[in-house]
Amino acid sequence: MTGRKLIMNFEVTPTSHLLADYRARGGYATLERVLREMRPEQVTKEVVASGILGHGGAAFPAGRKWGVIKLNDGQPHYLCANADEGEPGTFKDRWILENAPHLLLESMLISAYALQVRNAFVYIRGEFDLPYRRLAAAVEEAYAAGWFGQGILGTDFSCDIVVYRGAGSYVCGEASALITSIEGKKGYPRNRPPRLTVRGLYQRPTVINNVETLANVTTIVAQGGEAFRKVGTAKSPGTQLVSISGHVQRPGVYEVEYGTPLAKFIYEECGGVLGGGKLKCIVPGGISTKVLTAAEIETVTYDHASLTAAGSGVGSGGMVVIAEGTCMVRLLQILLRFYHHESCGQCTPCREGMGWMHRIIDRIVAGDGRPEDIDQLIRISNANDGTTICGMGDAAGYATVGIIAKYRDEFEYFIEHKRSKLDGRLEVAAGVVA
Amino acid sequence: MIEFFINGQPVQAEDNQTVMQAAKANGFFIPYFCWHPQLSVPGNCRICMVEVTNEGQAEGTGWLEIACNMPISKGMRVLTDSDKVKKRRKETLQFITLNHPVDCGICDKAGECTLQDYHYEYNGSPSVSRDVKVHATKHYPLSDRIVLDNERCIMCTRCVRFTREVSKSNSLGVQSRGDHSLIRPVEDGSFETDPYSDNVIDICPVGALLSRPFLHKARVWYLEPTASVCPGCERGCNVKLWHRKTEWKLKALDPQQNARIDRVTPLENDAVNGPWICNKGRDLAQVFERARAEQAMLKGEAVELQAAIVIAREMIKAARRPVALVSNWGSNEELAAFYGALGPRFACHVKRDWQPAPGERLEDDLLIKPDKNPNSAAALALFPALPADPRTAFPPDTDLVLVWGEGFSFAQLPPKARIIYLNSWLQPENGHADVFLPVSVQTERSGHYTNFQGAVSAFEACFAKKAGVADAETLFGAMGAAS
Repeated sequence: MTGRKLIMNFEVTPTSHLLADYRARGGYATLERVLREMRPEQVTKEVVASGILGHGGAAFPAGRKWGVIKLNDGQPHYLCANADEGEPGTFKDRWILENAPHLLLESMLISAYALQVRNAFVYIRGEFDLPYRRLAAAVEEAYAAGWFGQGILGTDFSCDIVVYRGAGSYVCGEASALITSIEGKKGYPRNRPPRLTVRGLYQRPTVINNVETLANVTTIVAQGGEAFRKVGTAKSPGTQLVSISGHVQRPGVYEVEYGTPLAKFIYEECGGVLGGGKLKCIVPGGISTKVLTAAEIETVTYDHASLTAAGSGVGSGGMVVIAEGTCMVRLLQILLRFYHHESCGQCTPCREGMGWMHRIIDRIVAGDGRPEDIDQLIRISNANDGTTICGMGDAAGYATVGIIAKYRDEFEYFIEHKRSKLDGRLEVAAGVVA
Repeated sequence: MIEFFINGQPVQAEDNQTVMQAAKANGFFIPYFCWHPQLSVPGNCRICMVEVTNEGQAEGTGWLEIACNMPISKGMRVLTDSDKVKKRRKETLQFITLNHPVDCGICDKAGECTLQDYHYEYNGSPSVSRDVKVHATKHYPLSDRIVLDNERCIMCTRCVRFTREVSKSNSLGVQSRGDHSLIRPVEDGSFETDPYSDNVIDICPVGALLSRPFLHKARVWYLEPTASVCPGCERGCNVKLWHRKTEWKLKALDPQQNARIDRVTPLENDAVNGPWICNKGRDLAQVFERARAEQAMLKGEAVELQAAIVIAREMIKAARRPVALVSNWGSNEELAAFYGALGPRFACHVKRDWQPAPGERLEDDLLIKPDKNPNSAAALALFPALPADPRTAFPPDTDLVLVWGEGFSFAQLPPKARIIYLNSWLQPENGHADVFLPVSVQTERSGHYTNFQGAVSAFEACFAKKAGVADAETLFGAMGAAS
């Protein structure tokens, strides 16, 4: 085990997604207590005290985001759960939506109470089928049981929820593009300032949190912010749901306490590389974080400070294990094809840069690369760093620079010999998958 | 007011201004494509990056931010031309031109293209890409008036925002995404009927949106603008009439090209039309290039202009009950001349030279006004309007009618009255007048119009007056003279 569990202390059974089961486990008791005994500010205080960082990728302190919302400022506030889990390699929110949708709903109600939100939204990824059906069913159950609607539990707190399905755009997972999409417009990210907590959905103060971040709120409020801080490290309190995939023996969703040694998690908990192969590198948190080589992860612990110091990040918790023998040139080609396909095309550097990088890497893989192409990729990546409206341009740049910096020899070899340095050596899958 | 610094110089600005607005107001130039003072801020072109250092922040630790969306704050230091900024600008231009066809040689925008200007100013080096460009529709007919070249488009979305925020037709949008994004009209055809659609040609920073009537007609550096006023309605939008420069007059080919209005664009005037005009104003060439009357006539018989004036003068002198129909296309100067020379002699009524055309938009919130004549305000300040039934304007013993300007059927005149007719155009009525005097048009003289709000706008002459044609102003003086 990799330490204490906060969300996954919730045992998954065939009925765990149903209200009756959730109630039997003590579900909605926290909400009841909040509505009866706590003032909204007290809830926010607990969340601030917990020090929880956003679990969507940017690791922004959720308490600080909530703190921007001014209660009683005479205008509606909105709360939105970001369930548009589109970062490649990430499928942790899906676990919550499929297995514990009521945990999310209860957390959202508590959050809505704290932020004086009358209308809450869940923006769920369009490709999610089972998660959507489970969540929609849970919302119906919750309405029928009176957990949503007018005067919840006889108090004067009212809250409604809308589940909004996305249409498959990666960029719509970015908070401002997400709300633009909810508004019924093309999912373009917005310029900051103003921040969304000042002017967000329908031009009103809006809090958008990742599903996992919100799912933690019930625990935080139930235990108290200070108790929550006892899990994890000082700078990264709590746990992270990690979805691990790729060339790994036991892929799946794990809850990892911050501070756990990364090597221990990968080699012991997840069983190491598939088929007993050798580890080449990992993508620690969604493909937009820089890769870490096998040597680098030996000293890294799984928390924000340590991963940032290693030049990468916790990101969205979507870990991908890459075995020795994988061609990094082709890996980058796949990544860049994805970024090219998903660039929304609003602002110049990303719109033009993603396609440009994709065409260059395609050319390299087709055997028409030139030595200067490698630096060109780095140059385009850097020109995207901090120049775009949302973070997608930067993300593609990090991924590219990260891979090239560590595996430049493979690129040089590919360009010179017009074929991969690692042809035919990826044998991890043989005989093991079954 | 907030004080901050641009390139080290202290600058005063309004509290809620952005860096771009404050810089513009204080005479600092920051390049931009997508930003437009009248439209919302999309911040998508990324060319207006400036280096920003907050008050108290150490020198050299500034970050790059787009000027168009950056609110100013007290003591903030902005650098518009630091090395960091220059490098970013160059990179951004490389991105913008990456898939731009650079076919300036056959592009109507060449010579007044923002991208061209910025390229020479801020980049100047050849493309750093050796990969093929993304190809797109080269000739997409957006409407009968406008053709779209998607390859030249840099996706600034000014046109889209214009139809959403100014003309309110919501008729353009962005289709697809990434570097395959395309500007496309919505399917209900509302762009075709948007009476302001041609403004998107002006605000397009590149040659993506092109006027079909102007397509490949002239290189813009052969043309020059003359300030004028659109006579299409009582708004009196200020316009620029573009015609060939004197030094580029054609000696061979069709000399008519030298006296042609090649295109009409808005002349920005915040008191009247802002930076916009409607499509009717774009088509002024169709108004001014109709067949002209160039010959004075007596009952259809050609005479010298001077002889005709003398006869007209005698007729006026002899008349017992003369009535005049005053043109509301006359300039303020002409109306004053008429008022001074002939006004007391005649019973005067202002007629409407032009009526709305079938299907024409009568009025809206932006520019278009119901009276389709330019100077009704000034004319009606001097004379009463023609009654709804024009026949009541003529007493039974009317023996002379002076008709100034087109658009009035002689059938409505008392049958026994003699007619003096001043008109610019070749029209059947001309030959029926007892005295016909050809007069100059707006493009051949200068003057002023007063619009419905009382704003006075000037127009200048851009073409030479035709031989045998006189200014109405001179004619009134000559006809009213004592002998």
